[in-house]
Amino acid sequence: MFSKTIFKQTLKANLKLWMIFTIITSALLGLLIAVFEPSTISSMTNMAEGTPLADLLKNTTFLGMLSSTFYSIHGILLPIIYIIMTANILIASQVDRGSMAYLLSTPTKRSTVVVTQAVYLIVALIVMLSIATLVGVISIQIFQSDVNVSNSDFLMLNLGWFLLMFAISGISFLFSCIFNLSKNSLALGAGIPIAFFLFELMSSVSNSLDKFKYISINTLFAKDAILNGDSYTIPFFILAILGIVLYGIGIRVFKEKDLPL
Amino acid sequence: MAVIQIDHLTKDYGHNRGVFDVSFKVEKGEVYGFLGPNGAGKTTAIRHIMGFSRPQAGQTFVNGLDSWKYASEIQKGLGYLPGEIALPESMKGTEFIQMMAELRGIKDRTYTNYLIKKFELEPSGSLKRMSLGMKRKLGIVTAFMHDPSILVLDEPTSGLDPIMQNVFIEFIKEEKEKGKTILLSSHIFKEIDATCDKISIIKEGRLVSSFVADDLRNSKEKTFKMEFQMKEFYERFSNEIPSNSQFQIISLKPDKNQAIVSIPDATINEFVAFISNYDLKFFSEIKFTLEDYFMKFYDRKAKQGGGIN
Repeated sequence: MFSKTIFKQTLKANLKLWMIFTIITSALLGLLIAVFEPSTISSMTNMAEGTPLADLLKNTTFLGMLSSTFYSIHGILLPIIYIIMTANILIASQVDRGSMAYLLSTPTKRSTVVVTQAVYLIVALIVMLSIATLVGVISIQIFQSDVNVSNSDFLMLNLGWFLLMFAISGISFLFSCIFNLSKNSLALGAGIPIAFFLFELMSSVSNSLDKFKYISINTLFAKDAILNGDSYTIPFFILAILGIVLYGIGIRVFKEKDLPL
Repeated sequence: MAVIQIDHLTKDYGHNRGVFDVSFKVEKGEVYGFLGPNGAGKTTAIRHIMGFSRPQAGQTFVNGLDSWKYASEIQKGLGYLPGEIALPESMKGTEFIQMMAELRGIKDRTYTNYLIKKFELEPSGSLKRMSLGMKRKLGIVTAFMHDPSILVLDEPTSGLDPIMQNVFIEFIKEEKEKGKTILLSSHIFKEIDATCDKISIIKEGRLVSSFVADDLRNSKEKTFKMEFQMKEFYERFSNEIPSNSQFQIISLKPDKNQAIVSIPDATINEFVAFISNYDLKFFSEIKFTLEDYFMKFYDRKAKQGGGIN
């Protein structure tokens, strides 16, 4: 079910891309935490008053600010780009180019290949987001020691962040398993996550576009619920199940399909 | 039990592409040639043998195991050389060999090193920068490094220089001596002609002819070409020969005083006696090659069917 050799090779081949995105994402989170000043936020809120951006900045606490900036925009978009690129490389691009033939001409089962690649993508995301979380915690300790930050809320925010990315990577991975051509795998594997991102962004910007949040899984990353102390168990649970199901279907599809190798 | 068996295999990709009701068997120790123009369905058939594709109808077996169900099991004793070389670009040649050895569970690298030396492979560079010929050599080494008893080769010599092509053909002959079972798909007559025991010709997804190569090589008829010294000899010949039903005229060229005739081996002495009455400029045998036979199937207009069935 799992091949160390393939995992090692995948790890090596994708290390550069992973490092770039891990560094940028972590650095950005660290930086946003470092430059936070309560007075800036309140003056920004005043400035934005009356404009559509007012809703975006309605939560003026420290974590509220982070949730409406990093956990809504940068922190979502950067890992999504990494996921889109990597998910395609892991399966569809290898089928498209034909290099998958070498793996499958050894006594390696298809299920071993696809499970190993899925494990890689999930582990890469766990480690990437863990590093970013760690950088966030350290940055809070150093720069915001005088602000009252709930550690458990911050960690839950990051857990939700991971669960969303896990579900989104399931989408991209599924399409990478379904399609034999990179362009088709990318069209849906990139298109859908980006659409979800945009829908959520639109719904948060204007009340008239509020309905868009119902057609985006990004809404299940219930940031407001975490910050307001409401329950978020169900949306988190849905994200986790969604991810597991999407990966499961992807693995099954790849095992059963015709490969043009 | 046949080592490789294709049983009424059908896979329709639409637009008349794919394979349709293809059946053949490769017995142990045989070299089986699979000839056909590009897009005729050779690779499709091989895809099914390898278990990459599921048949629409029919089945393929390797050592009696269903190719689709037991793909990974079959690979243990099978070496596959794909027609198109697509290697993972991020690796070095040595890393690729290392990975393939690990996936195949090879610990002793003596045979791998022997192959590297034999095919003059330089595996140290990155795969991205390797020439096509070098990539193909790498494909050959990794396909045979586990010394498999079955070889499936899809256009194996394309991209190799003529010297390496010969090295490869010699290698196939050695493998044949060792009793390996080999399926060789190609459109290059030379490699098929030099190695194969049995041959199937595929065209537009259907087998049009299957035959034993030696039957074709040892045809019971020979074809001769001759030119006469003078016009009068030529004319006398062309008038007299139709009276002898055993000799068959293939073509006549009055402007060059040339004739091509087909003579059954059994009547060769009579023909020599007959032709000794004429003053000839030259007399030569036209060797019947696989290429001639194959060209009949290439040519869409030709209505002739397979000679030997």
